[in-house]
Amino acid sequence: MNKSKQLKALVQTTFAAVIAAMVIGGLASTLYFAEQISAAPPPNTDSASSQTNSVETKAGSPDTNKVVVKRKLTGAELYSIHCNRCHAERYPTERTGAQWKTIMLHMQVRANIPVSQAKLILQYLQENSGR
Amino acid sequence: MFGLVAAGWAMGMALPPLATAQVSEADFKALQETVQKLSDKVQILEQTNIIKEQTHEKDVQQLQQLQEKLAETQRTAADAEQKSVAAAQTQPLPRVPIDEATVNHNFQILGDAEFQYDKTAGQHGAFLLADFAPIFLYRAGDNILFEAGFDTTIQNNATNSPGYTTTFNLSFAQLDYVMNDYVTLAVGDLLLPLGTYTERGAGWLNKIPDNPLAVNALIPGSGVGAELLGAVPLGDAGKFINYSVYGVNGPGSADGTGNAGALDLGGNVGLRSDGVVANLHGSPSGGARLGFFVPFKPHYDLELGISGQSGEWDNAGNHLWSAGVIDAALHLGPNFEAKGEYIVSRYGSDDLGLIRQQGWFLQAGYKLAGLNLELPVINNLELVGRYDSLHDGLGTTTERYTAGYVYYFTSTLLFEGDYEFFHSTDSSQVNQLIFQLSLGF
Repeated sequence: MNKSKQLKALVQTTFAAVIAAMVIGGLASTLYFAEQISAAPPPNTDSASSQTNSVETKAGSPDTNKVVVKRKLTGAELYSIHCNRCHAERYPTERTGAQWKTIMLHMQVRANIPVSQAKLILQYLQENSGR
Repeated sequence: MFGLVAAGWAMGMALPPLATAQVSEADFKALQETVQKLSDKVQILEQTNIIKEQTHEKDVQQLQQLQEKLAETQRTAADAEQKSVAAAQTQPLPRVPIDEATVNHNFQILGDAEFQYDKTAGQHGAFLLADFAPIFLYRAGDNILFEAGFDTTIQNNATNSPGYTTTFNLSFAQLDYVMNDYVTLAVGDLLLPLGTYTERGAGWLNKIPDNPLAVNALIPGSGVGAELLGAVPLGDAGKFINYSVYGVNGPGSADGTGNAGALDLGGNVGLRSDGVVANLHGSPSGGARLGFFVPFKPHYDLELGISGQSGEWDNAGNHLWSAGVIDAALHLGPNFEAKGEYIVSRYGSDDLGLIRQQGWFLQAGYKLAGLNLELPVINNLELVGRYDSLHDGLGTTTERYTAGYVYYFTSTLLFEGDYEFFHSTDSSQVNQLIFQLSLGF
């Protein structure tokens, strides 16, 4: 009886430790890579996105100047960020543009995301909507 | 022909005898042939004339018919014009709706449905309609939305009462008005922003069939009141903070007393059972949530939030009920997510004094598609696990370990299965095996 209790306690502790390790490890790696990911230049700079790009040069020692390219997130990128946080991604072709307008208003309130981001997502959905 | 012969005879009679010349037989025959030819020509002309007369007659008839039809058409057009004028005078022509404004596109039904097979330890296994939860959306303009959600369940009647009872419960009903880019007003039976599970984790959105223990037991899911919410971007990289501030009637007492066991988290909706419109106690509750969201790149993001609510709960207004929640959600790529909430609550009581409650859950999921094994079933499988802890402050402590999976038939049709290991001072909490098919629509 004592041994089975100990075994149960061991299982409980191990289970909790595994979950906690996943979370802590994930947090740690996220924070470790955060700066590199944020500062990475965009892969392709086309004429459209270049209009929203701004380039600033970090002042540092003469031989370590870094060029950081800032740009606004597109509707497609915001869609990828927000629209699978709670559920699997839905395809824009599933609904018409008008239907997406109604649904996005609901999602904007539920997820409490900025109106400006919601508008860009809606624009992306409507441009790629079905029917 | 007759005329020619007559002319010839007349000439013969008119000429004097001396004028009569002898005509040779050849000449006579030539004359006879000429007359015959002329006669034939006349006959042909007469027949042609007859045909032409007949054709003319047909043309005349056809012309008459066309004139009659024209007259009829003119009469019909005149009648239609009179009728349309009359109709326009009595009823204005309906506006042809543009695609965006059609009521069919402004009205949407979303929601989910869950069907289960449960095997609880010590009980017979059973199929179960776990929930049918439609959400009605109506957009009344660019910035106005009405949304309402329902839960439909069925349950056996009491012993000796045959049949079953269908329960149709309103889970929320709120009117949202986006006042500007930073402030939205929501009023009604609100989904409360205590943590994020209630607003964004319930139903098919939850990858495990059961709700977390602490969420069910320690905090209200909804409340009748008003809320201001919004989000403020921080830069252009997608970061933002969001806020919610609200006032609701708040928890109440099931029997009107301040005894600990009478706490009712969701039963104070403003209309009493005797029909009187009143809050059960003197003061509404207030609450708020502040959240911070940072995306590192698509599918890599972290959300942190802190929220709380406080207010009276007993009818006499002698005791406060308060709760606080810390929530976190992490995504590392398209295949891994982890989320959890820590919940504490406190409330005073007449019989047991201050009741301290706490609970938390931590849930994680990993989609095996991330292993890049390129196997057909594996790529649609996600492994999930959750740890729940609950101390109800009344002497019961429960821990639950859940291990399970989600198989994605499609992005909205999920087949879930899990086994829940219970360790509780409450002997009614026993292990459970659950299979669930859930559809989000």
